[in-house]
Amino acid sequence: MDTVITMAQLGLAAAAVAAFVRAARGPTLADRIVALDLILLLLAGAVAAHGARAGTELFVPALIVVALVAFAGTIVVARFIEWRDGR
Amino acid sequence: MTPLELVGALFIIAGTLLSVLAAWGVLDFPSALARMHAATKSASLGLSLIVFGAAIDEGSWGLLGMAALVATFLFLTAPISGHMVGRATYLAGRVDNLVHDDLAGAPHTPLAVGNGVRSGFSAARLISVTVIWMLLWREVSPGTLLGGAAAAAVIEGIRKAPVGQDSIRLRGLLVFAARYIQMVFVSNARVAWEVITPSNEQIREAIVAVPLASSTPAVGLLVANAISFTPGSLTIEMTGDPLVLYVHVLHFESVEQVERDVRKLEAYAGEVFQRADTVGSP
Repeated sequence: MDTVITMAQLGLAAAAVAAFVRAARGPTLADRIVALDLILLLLAGAVAAHGARAGTELFVPALIVVALVAFAGTIVVARFIEWRDGR
Repeated sequence: MTPLELVGALFIIAGTLLSVLAAWGVLDFPSALARMHAATKSASLGLSLIVFGAAIDEGSWGLLGMAALVATFLFLTAPISGHMVGRATYLAGRVDNLVHDDLAGAPHTPLAVGNGVRSGFSAARLISVTVIWMLLWREVSPGTLLGGAAAAAVIEGIRKAPVGQDSIRLRGLLVFAARYIQMVFVSNARVAWEVITPSNEQIREAIVAVPLASSTPAVGLLVANAISFTPGSLTIEMTGDPLVLYVHVLHFESVEQVERDVRKLEAYAGEVFQRADTVGSP
């Protein structure tokens, strides 16, 4: 099980690197926020995987907070794009 | 390794693979809207699978309930952020590779779902919010019960619903849920296939307007959410009065094809709600 979780976390880290490249490259703000949203979801996945290895249930609140921040942040930036380009 | 651990490990592996595919799609797809398809569909199922895997590995019912809550939350929010970012991208004028575009010059009438009336108290909603509250506290005690009931009462007190709100039919909801889960897996398989086969030149993006003239806002909302999880389509905009959905598709063949897919969903979604104006009539 530990091997599986280590592999999963390595995979998630690699995915985060790919998303980070998209966030840095853009070209639009929407691309960047979608990539950053994805990085947060990948982080939540890594937290859950860590929780499975550590045998603790304490990771769940952290998971919910990360997912909520990802959602709220994306919505706010989408609103901002519409406001900025709609003036 | 116990059987539970094995199943948990399989879930975590599948979730990781989907997450990696989502990231690869976000990196590799040729246009901003196409990249949103990968992020919306694969990332939410990927994270849900990992959380379920962790819960199964622990073998704890409380954790499994939490995983179900997290998954529900993800599946409710992913289409919303996909829709909002997609619409912002479109309005910013960053979409220029469409072979067909119904949204250009379309009238902008926002949906008036918020202008509702205060709805009455419902025991089913009160109980479900209380249960969710107790799940979040991970504890069944008089304190969490009271706290949950208080939170539920406050939500019910300030909650406003659209005029003529539809009531939910359990059987229709179950049929819709089964169909929905099946769609989520099919569309993830499609996105995965899309990502691993370098066929970017086959992508023909289009935005198609589908009028949902006969549907109530509640049905329209359900359809708009579900479309974002059907293979190769994403809700970009929704205007009210009359209700029109604007759907972004990755592989455009014809307007009729898109319309047929949406109509199928509309029929399933229509079964979930009993229309307010027909309640009580045979």
